[in-house]
Amino acid sequence: MKTLFNRLRGVERDIVQAPMEDDAAAPFYQAQHNEIAIFEAAWKKRLPVMLKGPTGCGKTRFLEYMAWRLKRPLVTVSCHEDLTSSDLIGRFLLEGDRTVWQDGPLTRAVKVGAICYLDEIVEARTDSTVIIHPLTDHRRQLPLEKKGQEIEAHEDFMLVISYNPGYQTVLKDLKPSTKQRFIGINFNYPNAEVERSIVRSEVPDLPEVLLNPLVAVGQRARTLKDHGLEEATSTRALVYAANMMAAGLNPVEACEVALINPITDDAELSEALLEIVRAHFS
Amino acid sequence: MGEQDQFDANTLAAIQQLLVDMEAMSFVAHRDSLAALPDIQRAGDDIALAWLQACKKMFEHDRDAGKVFIRGSAQAALACPGILPWVRQALRFTAWRGSWKAVSGFMEQLPAACTLMGEVGMLRWSDLGLDWCARHLESGAAYFNCPINTFAGVHGLAGIEEVVLPSVMLFEQRHLALGTYLTGAVRVRDLLGIEAVQAWAKRGADILQAGRLRGEAYFRLESEESMHSLLEHLPGFRLAEHHRLFQLILLAWFGETLEVLDSDWSPDKGRAFVETDGQALYLPRAMPEREEAMLSVLHSAGHLHFYSYERRNIEALFQAVGMKHPPLDSAQRITWRPLFAQFGEDMVRFQLIFDLCEDVRVDASLGRLIPNYLHRLRAATDASAAPTGAAGIYWQWAKRSLHWLEEGAGHNTEFEVLRPLLGGTTTIVDAFVAAKQIYGTAMLPPIALADRAWAYLPGRSPNAAQPVYPRVVLDEVEHKPEVNDVQARPDDSEQKEHTKTTTLPQHAAGEDPDMEIPPEKTAGSGGRVGVGIPQPAHVEGQGRSFEFSEKGHPYPEWDYRDKHYKRQWAWVQEKKLTESDATEAGRLSVQYAAVLKRLKRALSAQKPLRSAPKRRQFEGDELDLDACVTWSVERRTGMAPSANIYRQRRVQHRDTAVTLLADLSTSIMQISPEGGRVVDRIRAGMLLFAESMEAVGDAYCLAGFASKYRDNVSYYTIKGFDERLNAHTRAVLGGLSGRLATRMGAAIRHALTGFEDAPASRRLLLILSDGRPADYDDGGDERYLQEDTRMAVKEALDVGVHPFCITLDAAGSEYLPLIFGEGHYMVLAHLDDLPKKLPEIYLRLRR
Repeated sequence: MKTLFNRLRGVERDIVQAPMEDDAAAPFYQAQHNEIAIFEAAWKKRLPVMLKGPTGCGKTRFLEYMAWRLKRPLVTVSCHEDLTSSDLIGRFLLEGDRTVWQDGPLTRAVKVGAICYLDEIVEARTDSTVIIHPLTDHRRQLPLEKKGQEIEAHEDFMLVISYNPGYQTVLKDLKPSTKQRFIGINFNYPNAEVERSIVRSEVPDLPEVLLNPLVAVGQRARTLKDHGLEEATSTRALVYAANMMAAGLNPVEACEVALINPITDDAELSEALLEIVRAHFS
Repeated sequence: MGEQDQFDANTLAAIQQLLVDMEAMSFVAHRDSLAALPDIQRAGDDIALAWLQACKKMFEHDRDAGKVFIRGSAQAALACPGILPWVRQALRFTAWRGSWKAVSGFMEQLPAACTLMGEVGMLRWSDLGLDWCARHLESGAAYFNCPINTFAGVHGLAGIEEVVLPSVMLFEQRHLALGTYLTGAVRVRDLLGIEAVQAWAKRGADILQAGRLRGEAYFRLESEESMHSLLEHLPGFRLAEHHRLFQLILLAWFGETLEVLDSDWSPDKGRAFVETDGQALYLPRAMPEREEAMLSVLHSAGHLHFYSYERRNIEALFQAVGMKHPPLDSAQRITWRPLFAQFGEDMVRFQLIFDLCEDVRVDASLGRLIPNYLHRLRAATDASAAPTGAAGIYWQWAKRSLHWLEEGAGHNTEFEVLRPLLGGTTTIVDAFVAAKQIYGTAMLPPIALADRAWAYLPGRSPNAAQPVYPRVVLDEVEHKPEVNDVQARPDDSEQKEHTKTTTLPQHAAGEDPDMEIPPEKTAGSGGRVGVGIPQPAHVEGQGRSFEFSEKGHPYPEWDYRDKHYKRQWAWVQEKKLTESDATEAGRLSVQYAAVLKRLKRALSAQKPLRSAPKRRQFEGDELDLDACVTWSVERRTGMAPSANIYRQRRVQHRDTAVTLLADLSTSIMQISPEGGRVVDRIRAGMLLFAESMEAVGDAYCLAGFASKYRDNVSYYTIKGFDERLNAHTRAVLGGLSGRLATRMGAAIRHALTGFEDAPASRRLLLILSDGRPADYDDGGDERYLQEDTRMAVKEALDVGVHPFCITLDAAGSEYLPLIFGEGHYMVLAHLDDLPKKLPEIYLRLRR
């Protein structure tokens, strides 16, 4: 299996890829609540879904897993503030002396029936959030204004957006008219037990004695959010820390570089976090 | 042999002759030397002779010096068997007149000096002193009169040298006598260590130059500044600089924001402990080790967290003693004395045992909560030296019990009595029961109050050293069944009422600029008068022709109990702030000049002219002429040029209008624990905000509010959207002050009306606050104004204004999510950050 992956690495691939049938290729995902059932129900009825939650809590991984589970290709678009509607839909290009239409990722997904994932949608410009409206209600159409066409979405097309309700996005909140078109699934950092099993399976060579304190550190550090920490310690950061430990780094140092240094410049806050780390690993 | 005898006989004869001479000189001298002679003669007759000669010489020089020399000799001979060295040293005093004071000190300290430092040390000590006599006789006397044990401390001769050497410099440069300096220096050395004396003396020398009296007071450790600098330089881990760290750690472990304050401990008060009054933790300025400080803070907070001071439990405790309700003092605190009164003489012993048991209970609970806590406690204990005496017995017992606890509390007959304290539902009453059992045995001896402090293990401290405010946080689930619920309940709510009312803003009447203004002067809508907007001709005087303006603008208020709006309930009057302080504004501008410069640079980077067209785009609204020409040319030549021939004029939708609404209630006048008043930072913050806004070019409005009752909400527009920032505005910001309470909902509603003429589509209401919404007439119901504010926030969202709250209240995350919603508020943990952060937050919000 590994050799197959290696052959795929570093190779240009089309963004629309059907997931591998092989079970071994399944992305690891540990359910926190009933999000899998909710997503499957939404999938059955082809309703668009919105994933909400803080950074690093598993939104993207969840979607990768669901795409694999539903055997649908996944097209991911990371939104940024200069993303325009033509970046999503497509544009005319000149080639020699004629024009050529090139489909954008959203159009591709609509045509082949993929799951289109617009990550951090609030970052995108408003005009690009509006074009998804006809796709998200009963019409399931994508208008291509420039071509004067409309595309009926493929039967299996599904739209998923994610957004992170943090304070930087207060003014960029989605319009209510956009929001209400989605099924909303809230994500948060998993509880200790789930988090343990996530870290364990992400980093299988982490010694078991380090696993419990590491997860406890994460849970404890989250209580300091709002006290100078804008983002709490994420599950992803815990996995990074676990990787550093598995690579042979001393646990306290691993936590310092993976959990503390990236999220704060505040000396006292760092020290408080470090104190928590030391308490668990002394 | 015969020669020897002859010599002896001559010596003896000489001694006799000298004694006769002495008798002729003074009766007292003769009598005293006769008394001392046998002790001296033990060393040999020739030595006795030399000594007697010295006596005579001293006496002839100065009668008093001779007398003290003779009297002190017997003692000295016992301590320093080599007699001649100190006799020779003593003779050197004859070089000065009136040196008897120094001689007296010398003879008095001589035995101790010999015992402590040996002959060599004694010689060095006396040499140093004699040098001083040569410099300044009185200082020499002060030198020799300083008790040698304190003088040398634990450092021996080095201690003396270290203290004396800087004094030479002080004398030569500043003419400071040793007497003024010595006591203070010795104390400084004992408290801060041998290295600190030099620095302390240097600082003193500067002060001495500034003023003689001030400097001398400094050296005598009598002035405020010397005590302060002493505390500032205490060695060890300085807790005073880490309050926020402790607060964060406590928050992480206990999920509570506990107040952390400086205690009034000073080094001469003995061992440093973390104390608590049931509400806040009081930390000493410094503790020997960081680990000990950390454990102490955790342990003391553990007492609070695990209900050592919970009212119901304390009541049960007093019941167990057979006493009624614990008497509260005038500040509603419990003093524990009555509890121990029954033990009479033995009070200290019981108190200590009780503390021990309660500490075991709390540490066991902490051990379950904080990983490795017991392990660390044990390591700290093992690393520190046990005290001696009775305190040592307690210490050792506590240490063994800690080991037992840390090792998992297996069966051990010695500590079975502590087992009931290990469960999860234990209370202080269990500790009391256990303490009584231990008290009944003779295991732990009586102990003096003075020794008590040393009986505690590192991290532990006397419980309830101060009177405590009882805590009322216990959930009903956690009640002990034997506590009488029905009876306890009314008391409880009473107590709650009480604590609520104490949190209300003080100075409801008086001391307030607005309340002193007669009502007619506060009338009128003030607002933007005089900023170039033509005023209707008929509005004159106070503008009283509008009937409603007397009371201002009415707004509804949401009552969560009835779930409906009370119409025309809160009345908002627009006023102008009358105080202004241009000097303060200028000072702040200077103080924050660097910050402002940095901000402006960041702003200009953020403000490139984005509406300028992007050239050579693949698509766009207009053709890029240059690109088109190139394209055509290339195409003609047969190439296949790429089609980036468009020009894009992408307007960045950044038109934002913001109102910064500051809470100007009394509480901002408080001194913050980080030093300085809150209001100073608010002034600076608003000033920097205004300056940054000018740089950004966004429309902004500055306002403040305060309230007293529902019909008297003052809204101060400091700068409207249509005004410019000018010297007057800056001066008003410089003169901001706090008054009255915080009726936030009404202020928000009024601020919303201000947005009607705001020249932008994105509207942001930044609220700067330092506490919960509260007013004098909310009847202590925190929730009432909180819910009203929540509704006001909702109304704001409905009209398209985004409210965002920045609070200085560390407990803000308890109630702000309910009012503003997740992610729509920010708790500024560092007050000092406010000036810098305020513009930053805005810029991030508007991105």
